[in-house]
Amino acid sequence: MKFFNLLKKELAELLNVQTIISLVVAMSLLMLMGNVMTNTIEEAVKQEYTVTLCDRDKTDFTADMLETLRGYGAKINEVTDASEDYAKLLDNSGKESLVIIPEGFSEAVEKGEAPQLISIARMKSAAMMSNMSNTNSGAESLIKKAISDVFSQQAGLSPEDVTLINNPVKINSHTVISDKSAEVSTDMVMSKVMMQNMILPVIVFVLIMMTSQGLMSGISNEKIDKTLETLLSAPVSRTAILGSKMLAATIVAMLQAVLFMVGFSSMMSGATEGATADIANTIAAEIMPLDQALDKLGLTLGVGDYILVGIQLFLTIMICLCLSLVLGSLVNDAKQTQTMIMPLMFGAMIPYMISMLADINTLPIAVRIFVYAIPFTHTFSAIPNLMFDNMTIFLIGLAYQTVVFAVCMFFALRLFKSDKILTTSLNFGQKSKYKKATKSED
Amino acid sequence: MEKVLEVKGLSKQYSKVLAADKVSFDIGKGEIFALIGPNGAGKTTTIRMISTLLTPTDGDAIVNGHSVLKEPEKVRQSITYLPDEAGAYKNMTGKKYLRFMAGLFSTDIDTINGYVERAEKMCGLGERLNDKIGSYSRGMIRKLLLSRAVMTKPALAILDEPTSGLDVLNAIEIRKMIKKLAAEEGMSFLLSSHNMLEIEFVSDRVGIISKGHLHVTGSADELKERYNAANLEEVFERVVKGNEVL
Repeated sequence: MKFFNLLKKELAELLNVQTIISLVVAMSLLMLMGNVMTNTIEEAVKQEYTVTLCDRDKTDFTADMLETLRGYGAKINEVTDASEDYAKLLDNSGKESLVIIPEGFSEAVEKGEAPQLISIARMKSAAMMSNMSNTNSGAESLIKKAISDVFSQQAGLSPEDVTLINNPVKINSHTVISDKSAEVSTDMVMSKVMMQNMILPVIVFVLIMMTSQGLMSGISNEKIDKTLETLLSAPVSRTAILGSKMLAATIVAMLQAVLFMVGFSSMMSGATEGATADIANTIAAEIMPLDQALDKLGLTLGVGDYILVGIQLFLTIMICLCLSLVLGSLVNDAKQTQTMIMPLMFGAMIPYMISMLADINTLPIAVRIFVYAIPFTHTFSAIPNLMFDNMTIFLIGLAYQTVVFAVCMFFALRLFKSDKILTTSLNFGQKSKYKKATKSED
Repeated sequence: MEKVLEVKGLSKQYSKVLAADKVSFDIGKGEIFALIGPNGAGKTTTIRMISTLLTPTDGDAIVNGHSVLKEPEKVRQSITYLPDEAGAYKNMTGKKYLRFMAGLFSTDIDTINGYVERAEKMCGLGERLNDKIGSYSRGMIRKLLLSRAVMTKPALAILDEPTSGLDVLNAIEIRKMIKKLAAEEGMSFLLSSHNMLEIEFVSDRVGIISKGHLHVTGSADELKERYNAANLEEVFERVVKGNEVL
């Protein structure tokens, strides 16, 4: 009963209006970003089959070519404007990109020379997805195909001959992972796996930051406001006080994990769908479907794997909470709380950055030992280790995290049950209030 | 007189500093005892040891028949502690705070309701108890905390600088409340303060402490007579300076 009273209070402290509002805003933003990504990709896909053309050659040949493009399924938007100022041309046409067929285009084709095509696109931003729908790549490849067909006919070649010339070697790609292999290219596997593995590290990073910040602020505020002294002098065990703080923080962290999982999945689904669709288009009919290939390679995680990842994520959160509790207890004032979060921030940032850029298992041994010594690393590398059958490394990581958690919990309990919870503090070169008082007496 | 607190040679050693050195005194039922001394004298350390927040290096204190060393949880059933310049949970309303604290002293709903009702009457905050503590003035927070400290009718209420930072009117109100509770309900108080005038007005007996030593205890009148002083401030000066010379 007393424990639930404490737990209720801790939950109310951690899940206050500000926290709920920031969670709702974060979720909404992630979902909004997901929508934006989906729309941008859909727009870009639509744009692939929309050709904006300004035909300045105006010959029977170009008219036939436009018909051929329509025959390929393209939607043609014709623009008539003689302006040589391309910015003005885009403004007048109300388009962000267009292709000009200049005078002499048909003549060059008739002579068997490579005709010139003018491609104009407006660049509005350096953002990754901002220019996706502003390119002429779709239009250019359709026109190239049409001209290529004309040249083939002129040379008396059949479409099969053209295909053979363009693809003189048939590459039969196989990807091998551990002792399994599948008939699929490594690039395709990489793209798909990277997309799938992008979410967990982001969630782990955000969770470490949010849970440590919340608990550390909570415990340091209790110490600064002396509400901790009041609690510790009440007829309730210190283990119950510590337990309620840990349990409340764990509940809130798990809730945040679920919400962020939903938010990030929604955000990433847009990009993943786009990329997967792109890959699917590239796969030739005779090659094994990608999902089937991933399954054959053992790259799809089963329920058991997800449970293992969940256990590791839980251990990471618990280690983070224990460390936050210890660090929060050392704080003397509110400003120090920001400083004390730094070790945890770097502890999360180093493995996060490294796991995004490189395979930790291929790093030089000294760097590998350093990175693996950070307990959070094992959660960042959990999914890749499970996918690529590095079970030994995964299990060693899990055991290491369990030991680190036990040690951290032991120190947190010891700190909480001793005088040090009230007397220990880090002063960063400043003398403590107690020492100052003692000195002034002398 | 029935003893509520017996402090027997309490000592606390921090790595190089002896913060309390064989401190001994006792408090009877319904008595108000005040520890006075300069900053860093060992008042708060002594109070924290009696409140079971710090473990004594040597000695013991018996609260309501229970040892702080052997039965700290039983001691905590008999005391309440109000730290110096303590705050409260800013996101809670005054009422919720009282209910939360009452829930730590009892699991019986009727008892909890009784504690909260008593504290509501004593603090005199009325409708403001429904507001968040973050919107309270310092005086209002102190009244809330003091009513929290006495709502459970503890055998011993330990108040560290109970009126520190309060204006004159609020301080007078709190002193009156302490005297009334001791006289009418037989509640015992252990106070610490720098304010000699306050101590002279409110306490039955005082103990003068400096550099971890409790030099002298007695009623204000006894000490004034013993040290031939006009007021407690002069007694304090003579005791502290006399011990520095020695």
